[in-house]
Amino acid sequence: MKLPQKGFLLITLNQYSSLWDFELIQRAMVEYELQGHYWINHFSIALDELASAGLINRIGHRLDDGEAIAKDRLLFEFALSDFGRQRMLDTGLLDGVTNND
Amino acid sequence: MSLSLDKALHNHFQRSQRWGFTWALWTAVLWGAWYVPGTAMWYEEPFVSIHSGDHGMRLAATAVMTWIHAVVVLLFLIIWNGMLGKLRDYGRTIVRFRRISKWYALASLCGGPMAIFGSYMAMGYVGPVFAAITSLFYPVVGAIIARLWYHEKISGRAALGMAIIIMGGMVIYGPGLFGEIDISENYAWLGYVGGIMSAIGWGAEGAVASRAMDVTDPDVGIQCRFSFEILFWGVLVLPMIYLLTDLPILTLLVDMLTSPMVMIWMVLASIAHAYCYTAFYKSFSLIGVGRGEAIGNLYGVFAVLFVMAFTLELPEWYFVLGLILTVTGSFVMYREPAENISTLREVES
Repeated sequence: MKLPQKGFLLITLNQYSSLWDFELIQRAMVEYELQGHYWINHFSIALDELASAGLINRIGHRLDDGEAIAKDRLLFEFALSDFGRQRMLDTGLLDGVTNND
Repeated sequence: MSLSLDKALHNHFQRSQRWGFTWALWTAVLWGAWYVPGTAMWYEEPFVSIHSGDHGMRLAATAVMTWIHAVVVLLFLIIWNGMLGKLRDYGRTIVRFRRISKWYALASLCGGPMAIFGSYMAMGYVGPVFAAITSLFYPVVGAIIARLWYHEKISGRAALGMAIIIMGGMVIYGPGLFGEIDISENYAWLGYVGGIMSAIGWGAEGAVASRAMDVTDPDVGIQCRFSFEILFWGVLVLPMIYLLTDLPILTLLVDMLTSPMVMIWMVLASIAHAYCYTAFYKSFSLIGVGRGEAIGNLYGVFAVLFVMAFTLELPEWYFVLGLILTVTGSFVMYREPAENISTLREVES
């Protein structure tokens, strides 16, 4: 069975030092066989929630020149935080030791 | 950095903040609306015939009612998540019980049996006004747990706003307390314990659910929470009452399901409750447990307004004072710079 969607975003981000939101969203839409603006916005909100909770950090931002999602849309570059990695251990998304499950 | 990029960033954080507060306000509106059908149900058969001193029967009826209520709420959540295309993610989330969805099960125990049961104890042994006032303190409990457990930032402004909102709630309900508390009542302590249980239960629910929402979707999370609540009442509590007591659980169940008026109120209450809770959980992930629960506390104001709309009886004058305080408290919180709440926790980055 596939992972819950936020879990997939975290695991994907863990494989890179950082990724832009449109890169993460694109991977998620392929994984869950989804398309259209509704799902782009859905995954953007999921990334916002992950950033608010401190699991991922915004390390860069720029305006879309029209190549990524839509012209002048604000794009963010994300990296997994130490706390995010810890939460992945706590919730079984990463294998390892946790004292917090 | 160009001006337009700065502005786009500010607008982005402001939009998140506005959505967070909007969801929290919907929580309060729908929670207030819930009181009308939620109270009307007690004036229908079989509830109306249960003597107020018959505590066993009252609690059994409450347990049956809460179970049916949770089932109907779940139906409306399935419709909601079906429309949003999130039912598959619900399946993927609820099966991961040991590491993820167990927190939703715990949240359902805190918000369901502990808080609701506690609230009924407070109502039954002290009075409804006392029950309403003790519930007002649940954001304090939620904020403290979220602060200690996963370092949610509680700014001075958020704490001040929360305190003003709670004070507003006390002004609305407080004066009614004088006619209600009877120190000669031997079992009053049960009501006080119940009041504390309701504040701790509802406060803890937000903090516990947020623990699972770190890695799952809030809409999916609320559906998980009600799935567990149904199991808790339907597989554990009701069968135990049936087997261990001679209370007429099956008769109560059939009476409620075959009463058109009870079911109409039940459906209306469940619509309000389903989307109230959906909004509640969505607000946590955008503005945090402390702020979400504090704005949710405005339900006290909306409950009075909805009851006024249906009974056409004006509230007492001090309601206006309470209203001013709660609105002021909300604005104190809302005026916090959006950038401050773009990250809700003090965690290692």
